Amino acid sequence: MIIKGGIVYDPANGIFGEEMDICIENGRIVEDAGGEVIDASGLLVMPGGVDAHSHIAGPKMNTGRIMRPDDSRIGTEPRTRVCRPSTGYTVPNCYAIGYRYARLGYTTAFEAATPIIEARHTHEELEEIPIIDKGALTLFGSNWTVMECVRDNDLGKLAAYVAWGLRAARGYGIKIVNPGGGEAWGFGSNVKGVHDPVPHFDVTPAQIIRALAEVNERLRLPHSIHLHFNNLGRPGNYTTAIETLELLKDIKPSRMRQVVHVAHMQFSAYGGTGWKDFESKASAIADYFNQTNHATMDLGQIIFGPATTMTADAPLEYANARIGHQKWSNHDIELEESSGVVPWVYMRKMPVNAVQWAIGLELALLTNDPWKVVMTTDHPNGGPFVNYPEIIALLMSREKREEEMKTLHEVVRSRSTLPSIERELDWSEIVIMTRAAPARILGLEDKGHLGTGADADVSIYNIKPDEIDPSKDHAKVKVGMSRAKYTIKGGAVVVRDGEIVAAPQGRTYWVDAAVPESDMDRMLLDLKEKFERYYSIRMSNYMVQDAYISNPFVVRAGVQPLREVI
Amino acid sequence: MRTITIKLPEYRGVPVEAERISPDVLAGLSIREISEVEVWQGNRRLKLSDIFLISGDPDPDRPENTRIVVEGDLSKIKRLGEGMSTGVVEIIGNAGMHAGNSMRGGVLQIKGNADDWLGREMRGGRIVVEGDAGNYAGAGYRGERCGMRGGEIIIKGNAGAFLGEHLCGGTIEVVGDAGDFPGCANQGGVIRIHGHAHLPGAEMVKGSITAGSARVLPSFAYEGTVELGGLTYKKYVGDLVENGKGELYVASDQIGK
Repeated sequence: MIIKGGIVYDPANGIFGEEMDICIENGRIVEDAGGEVIDASGLLVMPGGVDAHSHIAGPKMNTGRIMRPDDSRIGTEPRTRVCRPSTGYTVPNCYAIGYRYARLGYTTAFEAATPIIEARHTHEELEEIPIIDKGALTLFGSNWTVMECVRDNDLGKLAAYVAWGLRAARGYGIKIVNPGGGEAWGFGSNVKGVHDPVPHFDVTPAQIIRALAEVNERLRLPHSIHLHFNNLGRPGNYTTAIETLELLKDIKPSRMRQVVHVAHMQFSAYGGTGWKDFESKASAIADYFNQTNHATMDLGQIIFGPATTMTADAPLEYANARIGHQKWSNHDIELEESSGVVPWVYMRKMPVNAVQWAIGLELALLTNDPWKVVMTTDHPNGGPFVNYPEIIALLMSREKREEEMKTLHEVVRSRSTLPSIERELDWSEIVIMTRAAPARILGLEDKGHLGTGADADVSIYNIKPDEIDPSKDHAKVKVGMSRAKYTIKGGAVVVRDGEIVAAPQGRTYWVDAAVPESDMDRMLLDLKEKFERYYSIRMSNYMVQDAYISNPFVVRAGVQPLREVI
Repeated sequence: MRTITIKLPEYRGVPVEAERISPDVLAGLSIREISEVEVWQGNRRLKLSDIFLISGDPDPDRPENTRIVVEGDLSKIKRLGEGMSTGVVEIIGNAGMHAGNSMRGGVLQIKGNADDWLGREMRGGRIVVEGDAGNYAGAGYRGERCGMRGGEIIIKGNAGAFLGEHLCGGTIEVVGDAGDFPGCANQGGVIRIHGHAHLPGAEMVKGSITAGSARVLPSFAYEGTVELGGLTYKKYVGDLVENGKGELYVASDQIGK
């Protein structure tokens, strides 16, 4: 297949809007190929989108669906010759997730939080999401075994547990959510900061985060730790964010990437002492990211209208349910985590929401290096991912931001720096934030770029970058980015003129990390006892079997020298 | 006024989604075009004329000058008058589920009984039912935080359970009795029940409910008697479970408490 005449943006390979042909053979980008010719003359061509943080599968997603029959009424689309029926907006059905990502030109999305014990369900749903490649990050932040290893300062054993946990969950990386808070919530409390000890475990969130970061590098995992801060969603929490990032400054990455990826930074860039004097501290956070090089972030931009908040940060969800007078689902996940789901509506005239909206944009615009920023909405916490084109238009056009701000509560002008920001992102920066950076941050070597040997994931939009000025034609940008002219996934055309024309099964990425047998044996001895004493299921029924992943892509990692585990 | 008559001969099939039987959709169409309008019967797409006999004034007119008369036992014909904004729909017979849902204006008359979800989430207009209404009249659909927001529903017979659940505005009048939990989670609408109401106003925070007699929930505070339209009512405020300020007026002694 040859894609002819497109204006190609491939920043990872130093290509910034050059007219060139892209050749594809056997699902890869190659130097030269024959076969089908796709005419992309003058059109915007870029690698397929990569979403590094999205909640797309697993029990909390399903809880959201069960709690929100009202949501399934929005976004219903009938079955077509290729597609199964779609429902839902903030918590769409599995099929809709795949189709909608593909229509946006996205070809990869990672589920951001799965407890090991619930991983089987996550994979059952991932299997039903068509087209896109996917993976799931595994939760370790409030896990008993993790906290015991941290308390005993036994990083060898912790590494063995993480390697085992990733294998048990068929997970891709270490996700940490409000470390220690999930356990404290089991006793009706929370941890207040990084140095506040977790009840009954005699460890602090700071120790948990550091230990997991060190183990992450010891195991040479493709992705760094993926961190949801303590105190998330609370006024004044930007100090917690910076304090936490400072803890990780001296850790050496084992691969060419960050040491910590911060999830949905917007929710942790808040100033003020309460909701009344709530203000943006995005500039302080962006300054920190500009001065350091060990951290990356995704935005967690909010979108006005309905959302469904879902997180392993259960105390936060309790607060949300109380504030919003909303339905609340609360879940205790045995020895591993807790979680909650609460429906939400972001309102333009609500001062807090208006400032939150500005914070996400400020973070993207004030952070100088686009490689440190991933554009997300923390779907569906900040709003559904189908709104990415809206964010792209906002980031590319100051005029659009001004128009939007006129419809918001006036505090957006006094409590954020957004009105004074002149920066407008160009196509290269957008491609970095939506493709190249998330792929590099996740450690997906064959994604996010169009170099020879890369996965043939390409999106082509009905936008002529040489003819339109995104700053003024932001409406055209939004429309154009909403429905790809072509989405090519693994060398197959899956979207043509905004419609799904094929729905192949994507791959599921997981990481198999090797650790020394002696550490694994020690760890398993303890773990077996935990299963006997505390778990509701047996260890032999705990692991996700290969049968649950029909199309796996296993990334090897591990402590040197590489040896098989178990 | 243009009259379109849609007759249903005996019908034994699966339910039909007839949301297109509404002045907004049919007014601008000739009788011939109306016959061609598509409706879903289960998972099959049919023309209106496959099920109904259609007659009436042949020439298109504006929706506000259009009266649609639907005759027959329509208990399996769902969503009649959905979303209508003007004009008149007259149903001679029983109406199926979801009649007049999301209505914005106009008049829907049902000379028979109405099934469940009558006028759910309606925003304006007027529905008059000569017979009984099923459950969830004027309510919000599953999971919604707002049911009816405006307009008027008059039920001359009895109403089923969850009458006006999540009511956010508008008025519902029931001449007979109401089933379990009328005005549940009321957020600002008005319900008048001439007969008996069982456990009205659970979780209500605003609005008012008047009943001829009622079994009152224990989470309502008694505030003495008041005169309304020449009658004496006992006044309650609640639901205190939700810290609610809703008003409940009961004419005669409630049964138990």
